[in-house]
Parts: sequence; C-alpha cells; structure tokens
Amino acid sequence: MRLGVDVGGTFTDLLLHDEKTNRTFQAKTPSTPEDQSIGVAAGVKLICEKAGISPSDIDLILHGTTVATNAVLEGKGSRVGLLVTEGFEYTLHLAKAWTPGPLFGWINMEKPDPLASLADTRGIPERMNARGEVVRELDLDVATRMIDDLCSSGIEALTISLMHSYANPAHERALREIVAARFPNIPVSLSSEILPEFREYDRAITTVMNDYVRPIMKRYLSRIEDRLKSDGVRARLHIVRSDGGLMSASAASERPVHTVLSGPAGGVTSTMMLSRRSGFSKLLAFDMGGTSTDVAVIIDGEATISRSTEVGMFPAKVPTLDVRSVGAGGGSIADVSELTGSLRVGPRSAGARPGPVSYGRGGTEPAVSDANVVLGYLPPVLLGGDMTLDVEGARAAVARVGAQLGLSPEDAAKGIIDIANEVMLGALRVITVQRGLDPREFGIVAFGGAGPLHANAMAELLGCYPVLVPTNPGVLCALGFLEADFRNEFVQTYIRSTVGLAPAEVWSRFDELEAKAQEWLIEQEVSKADASITFALDLRYEQQGFEVSVPVSADDVRKRGDLARTLADFHDIHERLYGVRFHVPVELVALRVVARGATPPVEEAKLASAGGDVKNAILETRPAYFNGAWVDTPHYDRAKLGAGARVEGPAIIRQYDTTTVLLPAHYAEIDPHGNILIWPVSKGA
Amino acid sequence: MAVKVDPITLDIIENALKNARFEMDGVVVRISLSPVIREQHDEFPMICNERGQMIVGQFGSYIPSVVEKFQGDINEGDIFVWNDPYACKGSISHNNDWCVMMPIFHEGVHVGFSSIFGHMVDVGGSVPGSMPANARTIWEEGLRIPPVRIYSKGVLNEGVLDIMLNNTRTPDMNRADLMALIAGCRTASTRVKELCDRFGRETYMSACDMLLDRTREAMRVVIRKYIPEEPVSFTDYVDDDGLGNGPFRMTLTISRRGDIAVFDFTGTDGQAEGPINFHIHEGLCKLFFGVYMIMSFDPSVLFNEGFYDLFEIVLPEGSLLNPRFPAALSNRLNTHTRFFDCQAGALGKFVPQLSMAAGYGTSPHFIFSGHDKDNKYFQLMELLFGGVPGRPKGDGFDGHAWWPLFSATPIEYIENYYPVLVERYQPIQDSGGPGLHRGGAGIEKVYRVLEPGQVSIHDDREVVPPWGINGGLHGGTSSKWVIRAGSDEPTRIPSKIDNLKVKPGDRVVFKTAGSGGWGDPLDRPAATVARDVRYGLVSARQAEEGYGVLLTVENLADEKATEALRAKLKEERGAPPPFDFGFTPPERQAAE
Repeated sequence: MRLGVDVGGTFTDLLLHDEKTNRTFQAKTPSTPEDQSIGVAAGVKLICEKAGISPSDIDLILHGTTVATNAVLEGKGSRVGLLVTEGFEYTLHLAKAWTPGPLFGWINMEKPDPLASLADTRGIPERMNARGEVVRELDLDVATRMIDDLCSSGIEALTISLMHSYANPAHERALREIVAARFPNIPVSLSSEILPEFREYDRAITTVMNDYVRPIMKRYLSRIEDRLKSDGVRARLHIVRSDGGLMSASAASERPVHTVLSGPAGGVTSTMMLSRRSGFSKLLAFDMGGTSTDVAVIIDGEATISRSTEVGMFPAKVPTLDVRSVGAGGGSIADVSELTGSLRVGPRSAGARPGPVSYGRGGTEPAVSDANVVLGYLPPVLLGGDMTLDVEGARAAVARVGAQLGLSPEDAAKGIIDIANEVMLGALRVITVQRGLDPREFGIVAFGGAGPLHANAMAELLGCYPVLVPTNPGVLCALGFLEADFRNEFVQTYIRSTVGLAPAEVWSRFDELEAKAQEWLIEQEVSKADASITFALDLRYEQQGFEVSVPVSADDVRKRGDLARTLADFHDIHERLYGVRFHVPVELVALRVVARGATPPVEEAKLASAGGDVKNAILETRPAYFNGAWVDTPHYDRAKLGAGARVEGPAIIRQYDTTTVLLPAHYAEIDPHGNILIWPVSKGA
Repeated sequence: MAVKVDPITLDIIENALKNARFEMDGVVVRISLSPVIREQHDEFPMICNERGQMIVGQFGSYIPSVVEKFQGDINEGDIFVWNDPYACKGSISHNNDWCVMMPIFHEGVHVGFSSIFGHMVDVGGSVPGSMPANARTIWEEGLRIPPVRIYSKGVLNEGVLDIMLNNTRTPDMNRADLMALIAGCRTASTRVKELCDRFGRETYMSACDMLLDRTREAMRVVIRKYIPEEPVSFTDYVDDDGLGNGPFRMTLTISRRGDIAVFDFTGTDGQAEGPINFHIHEGLCKLFFGVYMIMSFDPSVLFNEGFYDLFEIVLPEGSLLNPRFPAALSNRLNTHTRFFDCQAGALGKFVPQLSMAAGYGTSPHFIFSGHDKDNKYFQLMELLFGGVPGRPKGDGFDGHAWWPLFSATPIEYIENYYPVLVERYQPIQDSGGPGLHRGGAGIEKVYRVLEPGQVSIHDDREVVPPWGINGGLHGGTSSKWVIRAGSDEPTRIPSKIDNLKVKPGDRVVFKTAGSGGWGDPLDRPAATVARDVRYGLVSARQAEEGYGVLLTVENLADEKATEALRAKLKEERGAPPPFDFGFTPPERQAAE
C-alpha cells in the first residue's frame, strides 16, 4: 500500500492506495506549522482508521514537504558558516551586482540579508584556476585556525565553496576533512558536490541554501520517522523533490535544497497523470490555495524541468518543475488604495488565522473567499456540514469596500474576484503566451481548495477548455506523489570546445556519472526492471551564455563514436528554439546523467455511469449573482453525478473538499474517470 | 477608426505588450555571444505604434526620423540597422550601440515597429573596444553606419553585413549579436500580430493610443503636484575628458509652466575636446525624466511616449549635451550619468520622494586585449559596478549596478575564457557615504594578467565625489593602480586610459566610487553602524567621525557613549546641509 502525504499551509492531505483492491482512501487533517510531523502522524492514524488497515500494512510513504521552502522564505533557517577563497568573502553580499529593471529600478529594490552572514564567512588562503590547477597552495595551518574559530562560534552547518572547485574539488575536500576531525557534529556541504557547475555566486548560494535548511530538515525527518515508528508504521519514507522525482529520507536530509519546490510538485505530477489518463495532451495546472496560486504547463503528458528557480529573492540552481507562483488565493485581502482610490487584491493574505471574515474566526478585512460567499458561489454550509460560513459578516465587510468605491456589495464582490482572476491570469500568460504557447490549445485543471471556484472564469478569459475538475481536487497533490518516479541528476561541468575534443573524454566522463547514478539507484532500492538512465550534453555556441541540453542516446554512449550526431542535433534544437543557427564552434559545458526509478501507476476503479435524472443530484436552489443579476441557481451534490451526467450552467457543484462554479452559457459533463469537464455551450453539443 | 476598448481588454493588451518586451530580452540574451549583452544585459528593446511612438520599452523612439529618411518606403520583411548617433539625432549615443528596427505588418497593414539596440564589443576604430579615451573626433571611434536596410523584403543584404563585419576586431561575435537583436525584434513582431488576431487590429491600435493617453494623464498629475513653478537649479561635474580638460560643469534648471515641465540645461559647459560628449535625443531626455518620476511615485504606471508633450527640453547647441559634429562621443557615459545626478539633485530639492543621492557616476569599463600563446586574439571587456545611492527607501547597495538588470560577469566565466586571474573582488571600506541610509560602497577588483597585452580603463568620480543628500555625506572616489610583476609598489594610473601595456604577472587594481548617503548619519541606529563595522564595510574611525558611534571591543555599539557624542556633534554642526559635495569647483573663467 502506498500513502501520499502533502503538507499545505492550512491542511495536510493524505491519499492511500491499496494496489490489491484498487481502492483509494483520502483524509484531511489540520496542518501543524510549528511541527509539521504532528499533523502528518495524526493524518496517518486517521487514514488507517478510515481504510480499516493496520499502520504496518503501509509499504511506502511519499511525502511532499514545505519545510525547506518555508525556512528560506521566512528567513528562519540555520546559522550557516561559509568558507570561501580569500578575496571572495563578499560573493554572497555582492549578489552578482544585480538590480531590477526598469531604469531606476533600484529606487524600490528590497534585498534580504544573505543566507550566510558576513560575520560567519571566512576567506581561506588557496586558489585553483579554471583548469583545476592549483595556483595557490591551501594553507592548512591558517585554514585550521579559521575553522576552529568559526566552528566554535555557534554555527549549525558549514558550507565550503571555493573558486573553480567544480574543476578540482581537492581543496574543498581537504577542508572538509579538517572539519570532520575537529567538529564531527557540524554538517558540511561542498559546492563541488551540491552543484559542480561554474559561476561562483550560483554555486555558493545554492550550497549555502542547502545548509541553511539542512539541520531543520534533518530534525524534521527524524521526528517524523520517530512518530511513525512509535505508531507502528514500518513503511519506507520517500521525499518528493522539486523536479517531481523522489528521494529517500536520508538523501533528503543530506540534500534538502532539492526539495525547495517539493510542495507544488505534487499538483504538477497529478496533472501529468490526468493528462495521460484523460487523453488531453495539453493542460494547464491551476492550483489555487489560500495564499497563493501555482500554475504550470503540461505538454504531451510531461511538465518542463527548469535548471534553476528562485526561492524568494535567492536563486537556487537545482532541477525544478517549471511552476509559476502568484500571491493571489482564496485568502487574499481586498482593500482600496488611499492614494489612487483603486481596488487592490493581495498579496496580503488572511491566511488560516484569522482567515476570511466568513470563517468567523475574527477576520475583519474581506478576502476573495468572502466575495465568493457574497455572490452565492460558496454555500453557507460547506458539504459535510462541519463548517458554517458567516454570510452576513462577509457581506458587511465587502460592502465597506464597495462604499469606498461607490459600488454595491455585489459589484464590489464581482470586482474583487475579477481582479484576483486578472492577477492569476498574468501567471498563466507568462507560462503560455510568453513562451510561444497558445492557451486556446490547452485545457485547465482546477485544484486546490479554491481552484474550482475560479477555473471556469479563467477559462472564459483565456479560451482554454475544457475545465477539468478531478475527483478529489483538494487532495490532488497527494495523488500525484503516488505516481512520482525516483529521479536524480548527476552533472559534471566540463568546459571545452568540441573542436578537436577527443570523444573519449566525453564517454569516460559519462561512465563516471553513470556509475554514480547506478550507485544512487541501488541506494534508493530501485529494482533493475524499474531503473533507467538517460544522457545529455549541455552545449552552446562558443561563448554563448546559455546552454541547450541535447539528449545523447544510450546507444551512442555505448558505441563511443564521434559527436557528429549530437552536434547536428544541437544546431537543429537551437534553430527550433531561437530561429537561428551559427557557423561558429560549439562548446561543451556540462555532462548530465539522469537516473530514474519507475513507479507503477495507480489503478482506479471506473466510476459508475449516471442513472436517471441529474435533477436527483440537486441539493437545493439558491440565488447566485451572474452577469449583473441574481439568478436561482441549483446546487448539485457531486457524489450523485455519475459518468455521462450533464449539468447546464449556471450551477454550483458541491463536494466534501471543494466547490465548483459552473458559469452561464457553459455545461459540465462527467467523464468515465469521474472528472468534471466544463465546456462553453457555443462549442457545440 | 477609433474603436472603443474596454478597460479589461486594455489591461490585457498592456500586460501582453510588457510580456512581449521581456520576451525580447530573453531571446537576445540567450542567443548573443558577447558577455556585455549576455551577462550584463547591455541591450534595450521597445515596441512602438505605427507612428513610431514607443508603447513599451525603456528608451525613447527615434523611429520617425528613420522613416522620414526612407520617405515612408517601409515594407514588410524590411529590417533596418544603424549606429551613427549623428544620423539619428542622438537616439543612440555612441558607435558601439547597433540599433535594429523592424516594421510590423498585420495582414498587410502596418501596425507598428519593434526595435532593439545592443552594445557591440568592438566596432573598429583606433583601439580595441572602439572607445578611445583620447579621441578628438568620431572618426576615431570606428565604423559609422547610417540607417540602411540589412533585410529588404525578407532578403538579407549580404553587402551591408560584410561591410559591417569587415570593420570590427570581433566579427563572429558581432554577427551573432546582430542576429540576436534581429531575432528579438521578430519575436515582438509575432506577438503584436497575435494581439491583432486576438482582439482585432483596430482594437489593438486604439488600445496603443489609449495606453499613451493613460500614461500622459498620470504624468500630468505628477507634474502639477511635484514640479514647482519657481525655477530650481542644480550643478554637478564630470571629472575630465581624458585629455586633461575638466572638470566639466553641468547645470540643470527645472520649472513648470501650467502642465508643462521645463528642463533647461543652460549653464552647462561647452562640448569637450575629448569623447565625453553626450549627444542626447530630446525624446530620450523626456523619457528619462518621466521614468524617474514614475519609478519614484508609482512603478506600476507603464512608461511610454504618451507624456512627451508635457516636457520642454532646452539643450544648448555646442554644449556637452548637444555637441556639434564631429565631436567624439564614445566615452559619453560619464556625462550621461551626471545628467541623472543633476536630475536627482534638482528634483530632490523640494520633493523628498525624489531625493536620491549620487551614485558611482558612470559605467566603469575594463578592457584587456592581446594575443595568447596560440596567437589567437582575445578581448575581454567588462563593466564594473559601484555604490548605488542612499535612497528614501533605505541604504544604497554595495558594489551593485546603477543600470537596470545588469549583473556582474561571473569571475569563473572570465577566467575560463580570458588570460586573467581575479585576486580580489570586494566592497571598499568607508566608500559608502554616511547617512541615515548609508550610501553603497564602491568595489575593488584586482586583475592579474597572464598574457602580455594592453589594458584600457574608463571611469569617473575620481575627482568629484558622489554627493550626499538631506544630511547624508558624500561617498568615496574611484582610483586605479598598476602593480608590476615582481613589485609590491602600486602606481596610480588615470581613470581614463588606453592601451596601457601589461606583462604576465602585472596586476591592475580597479576601485570604483561609492555613493552618497541619504539623511542625517547621526540618526542612523548605532547597532546598524556597529554591524557595518563587523562586516568590514565601515571602519571604527568612520563610525566615530561620520556617525558619532563609539564601539566596544567586540565592535558592538556603546549606546551611552554614542548618545553623548552624538548630542555634542549635533550641537556643533547644527541642522545638516541639504547637500554634501565634498568638492569645491576650481575658480574658472567664463568659457565664452
């Protein structure tokens, strides 16, 4: 049995799949931000009860965590010591000298303190050159003194990031030995191991980020393992990486920087899964939560992997699913700007506490959810009956905003939703139009607590149909984890012109990386049948600043021939991406080996087809505000809508974990997998 | 044909154009080969309407004058290129910037232009890099290309390209960089056509006009509110022109007449003998003032040419800012930046939100060229950074870029491609002007050269320091040194120098200027000053003298002693002066 666990800001979602009976169970418990492991353990207990199984029946736990992300975003990581090459102590402080655009962008720039303080940084007398040759010998005596001083000052982790260590890690390793001998309890990360690529700032900040979150991650993982063990769970624990792959818990506590986007990864992998099952090859993932919305593009069932990402203001060069985040969600607060009198929504959020006004937990400023309540999109009692919404309170709060704008409460609520939609639309445009993709060729998958409330409106704006609301949009991330593969990348920077390069130099390096990859697969206990390894070369025109990753077939690697075919592929890919090819020498920048361990897909039981009239699924009829007027709108119980059922808009479709708004001039149908598909009526049928 | 566009559609078109403009950046940066464009982003895109008015972008439009030159003979598939500042009224300001422009057609109808200019590493002339510090005319600064068609109805004009590439020391790089600029323009063209398809051509074109109007209205409000009718003057100086002349005075007087803001440079020195003349386009001037005000008051306002008729610009002919042909222009960035310093000083006198201090004051260049052991030509050109000014929002940044979106070339990158070893790269202690918000520090970069060759340097603020504002003090000046192999003795060299011969093992020490502080340094929290001391950015001595902060042996603030010292210093000083220049101009005879 496999268990997916997704810890969000408000709720911890769990999904259990029993391969023998093809049954899945879901559970939801409040997240415990002070120690996420408490909520996780409570959730595991709950789902075992629901499924009627013993905790020891679970074989695998697949866990997405925001522990690392939150530590960086909130500046609550560990105190990290940093050893750099003498003369480069200010590398993090100078932060590549970058200031934002446009002209005079620095006037408003805000820059957080580096993740390792200047006071905790030491310059070691040593130096390598770009070829990895020693230019200045490492002064062991001075280095030892500096290490003694720094490591006894209260630091919790140590990063070693020396110039050109990707070309020769000898000095970094020598320093690590000194630390290991004298301060065995201080965890050490080497930049040559975390990111063996050139560009000193990126390598240093990525490695420091690893250490910044490492003690926290380690503590967290050991707590969670202890709790589960004492509850009788004997399953192996795997952590979801930022690229949607899996790593073992012990690997995650060594390389937590690979989990900085673990949270949103689940939604993207689930969308990939839905894409493969539903046959819609192009989908937009639209994950709208309480404080933010994450969007991603899926083409041919695959998401794009980006080689770098940003966590707050800091770059992290780790493979990441290409997810774009904006600060608009159900909890985003609406207010009126004093200066310009314009209505603004977010990025301030009511969060889980106090939450929107309608939650009745002391919130006073109207949030996007409150606007949905005012317009009758969210029912006064959420399904399951465990939460009653304060409709009058929400209306009064929205009315106050409306009064400042001279708008009725309804129009103010509509305005709040329109502006939130516009902000989210910006993120969807960035990942489609700005990358040369036409959103009209895509469908949109709605999930997260608030996704299905807004997705129909987003589709209307972007022309992306159908809107696909999966069976359990509230726990979709956890579902994605169940099908995540093991995945890891092994990279070696090796900057050489391909002109006159002996191909053996490439093949032998691929051999070394492949050996590392195989070793990793064994460590992760991936069986031979599930394991696969792929090869790629990062190439570019000589002196270009960005590389193109060109796949090399395993056959070519075995044959050990020349690089002609790969180079031809490079020219083709460059032309396809950028519209030009050049007749200048091509340069090799890095070799890349990706190891994968496949996971069997979750087999779901098919949904029973609809019997009888959809009218039987109507719970009640309530007024809702569409196109400037109140309309009596039927509320359907999703559980009673079988495969093939068709519902005409406007309608509200309610279920345990979310509410779907179906707009006028649209209809919804239930597909054989149980997904709701929303189409505009004009599209036929 | 004016179609009414609803506000949401207008917002969508605005966002889409902004995105297209960023996509242009993305394409150019990914394709180009030269580190100046790629790593340092010295390229500037824009999208214009069919009349050549900039709708999005960050530099002013020169397109009408080019269209005029071709008497409207502009066809689908044409792409134009030029670099001669005198042939485009100063819309680009030195020969190194190659400018590409492409008309955009939708279903055969002309709907706009896309254009980008980018800095080429070399365009010929008397020195590598094409910016001779001692040039007296533009003839010494490399090939001048008037506006010509590089593509005519989709067909490449090989002859033009051959001439261009035959006149540079770096033909492969320039070819790729030019193609990158063209690819960027094509991207914008595709996006504009898509918008016309999506919303209808008439809607798109009306929306462009509405975007111009919207920005104009926002600017009108800002001008009326913040530009005083009474004239306000501010004067700053450029060190020298590389030929021993200087300092050069620049004076700006700002006033308002109804809705019109008047920016008058009367009082600015006559054109220089050396290449620091800044031939600035009037439209560009307006854009600079407009952008500065938008960024200070509401950065979300789209800047475009909509507000141009609200500005009146006076640039005396034959002055540093409006030189007569064939004055040399290549090293104009010193003057360009002083233009911004005058703007900040004059506007900041009355409006606290606009009161930024002065920064490092140019775009410091380091150029190292020669032939390596395989007799292969190399030419490293790097832009350096310095102190970003103290601001109303907070401290200035140490060793950061004043120019937008620039970033430092990774040292590991430079060392992979060029025969140099960087020994040190760090902020200069005490070079940030003291202030409630400290000025950013300049940086020190030490290059050890590994092959024989020659070094050229362009910098300024060596003589005239960056001033502080609202009680903030001035920042540190720049300096350059050479330490010959086998010696430890640094020798001072000028901040503008060409072709200094260097041998393997020689070291060049490049120190840039800091920036001025903002607000009274005696009010800066003592703990923050102490932290800067612990970080090595401020000395204990400056903590005491500049900030009135006394420290314990652990470099923590001694709050009690500090309070007493500050009270005494405040009493001695009285109210702080609005500006601190740290420089007294030499007695000068009237130029005329």
